[in-house]
Amino acid sequence: MGDNYIIARIRGEKGKLLERQQIHSLAEFRTQSEILGVLAEGPYGKELSELKEGSSPIETERAVRLGFARGVKTLISSSQGPARDFLLEFSRRFDAYDLAAIVVFKAQGKTWEEFVSTRQPLALLKEAELHRLYSMDDLRTIVGIVGDRALVNRVKGFSMEDLVGEKASLVRDIITAWGEERFYNYVNDKLGGFDRESCLPIVGGTVDLANLIIILRSKLIGIPSVREHLISSSWKLDDRTIDQLLVAQDVTQALDLASSHPYYHRILSGARQKHEETKSLSFLEVASRKHSIHMSKRIFLGFPYTLGIVLAFLVMKENEARNLAAIVAGVGAGMKPDQIRSLVAIPD
Amino acid sequence: MVDCATLTSVTLCPTFWAGLGGGLSVLLSAIGAGIGIGISGPAIAGAGVERPEVMFKTFIATILAEALAIYGLVVGLLSVFHITDALTLAGSVRIFAGGLTMGAAALGAGFGIGTSGSALAAATAEKPEIFSRAVITLILAEALAIYALVTALLLVLQAS
Repeated sequence: MGDNYIIARIRGEKGKLLERQQIHSLAEFRTQSEILGVLAEGPYGKELSELKEGSSPIETERAVRLGFARGVKTLISSSQGPARDFLLEFSRRFDAYDLAAIVVFKAQGKTWEEFVSTRQPLALLKEAELHRLYSMDDLRTIVGIVGDRALVNRVKGFSMEDLVGEKASLVRDIITAWGEERFYNYVNDKLGGFDRESCLPIVGGTVDLANLIIILRSKLIGIPSVREHLISSSWKLDDRTIDQLLVAQDVTQALDLASSHPYYHRILSGARQKHEETKSLSFLEVASRKHSIHMSKRIFLGFPYTLGIVLAFLVMKENEARNLAAIVAGVGAGMKPDQIRSLVAIPD
Repeated sequence: MVDCATLTSVTLCPTFWAGLGGGLSVLLSAIGAGIGIGISGPAIAGAGVERPEVMFKTFIATILAEALAIYGLVVGLLSVFHITDALTLAGSVRIFAGGLTMGAAALGAGFGIGTSGSALAAATAEKPEIFSRAVITLILAEALAIYALVTALLLVLQAS
């Protein structure tokens, strides 16, 4: 009962999340300023109001992310005990996102200034530390400073020079998956009772789908020893299923196998068709987010005093921020509303 | 009149039983109220931060929890007023039973009010329009204490 304050605040903030229809309407707008006008009154208003006239979509995306980060930081500052530890562990996930971005940006020859404008505002790594990492050139050294031995071993065989196209995406996926695994291990090992049970469907599903993405991307590139790059933790995707996926001849066969999985078939049905249509794996990221939101909604209907409620809200809020960023980027790029809607994760 | 100082056992003293009953009524009711306020209070504050407009509505949980202490005080004071020279052992046991009934019921009701009041605050913060329906559980929790209050008053008032 010690977290009543946080739970009530979260319920209040959940009531302010954008509805499905509102997200759809935002995708209809033709200019970024129209979107900003609608969002000015909401939770992102403070950050969006600080944008200058004619701001780029990247600046607007960052403002949205800053709004999300401010919300989480406010929760951290007003929480105590297990809830505070939990929120800090949740924030640590974003260190992996920053680390992945450093590697990819450096491989693409981008400048520090370009990277820093996209860094995760919720990450716990200090800017000076990130700058130091950005000055290094060896992939394993960079990864070894922030990550652990397991992560260094997972990126063995890659070097900064050959990180182009899908290979860069694979290394990014491996690093972000490590961040998700670290959070999963915290939930699995440190939490107990209702807290653990309510959080596992979300964090476990994320870890499983992260492994699936690594397998599929490895098959796209044609990497032989995929197992070395996988997360050692898994939830519903057991060893037998992973073995079957690893021996699949190609992505199509692997997707067929994954879509027949007893637990994940609901979110992966039609995966093969989507892959053939888009020729990319980005739909899996949307599917993973949809799964997490679906689970979050179920958690909100369950026992009201668990850390699962905190996680469920954070998932929904993070998804909202990502959806808004995708809409802003899509509108900025002149995409059609239907194309933009395919980039946002709104559960059915 | 019973002179308790001459009794072989304190359990035969009417003042002891009546005093204990009155004391338990006040003590347990105060603990119940404290639990109710302690559990619902943080949630009301949390809801108020996000939705200041619902704070006064959800404050009803704290008021109802505080009422438990008042019920206990009423029974306690009535018990004290009945401690007279005319009080018999049978009457004092009635007062004790009344005080215990009130106190124990307030303890349970306090827990109920605390948890349902906390949930009410959280739910109202998320969807303010459900307040009128969600408040029913809070009223039902308070009703538990009112049943005990009625019973306790009958017991105490019949003591003499």
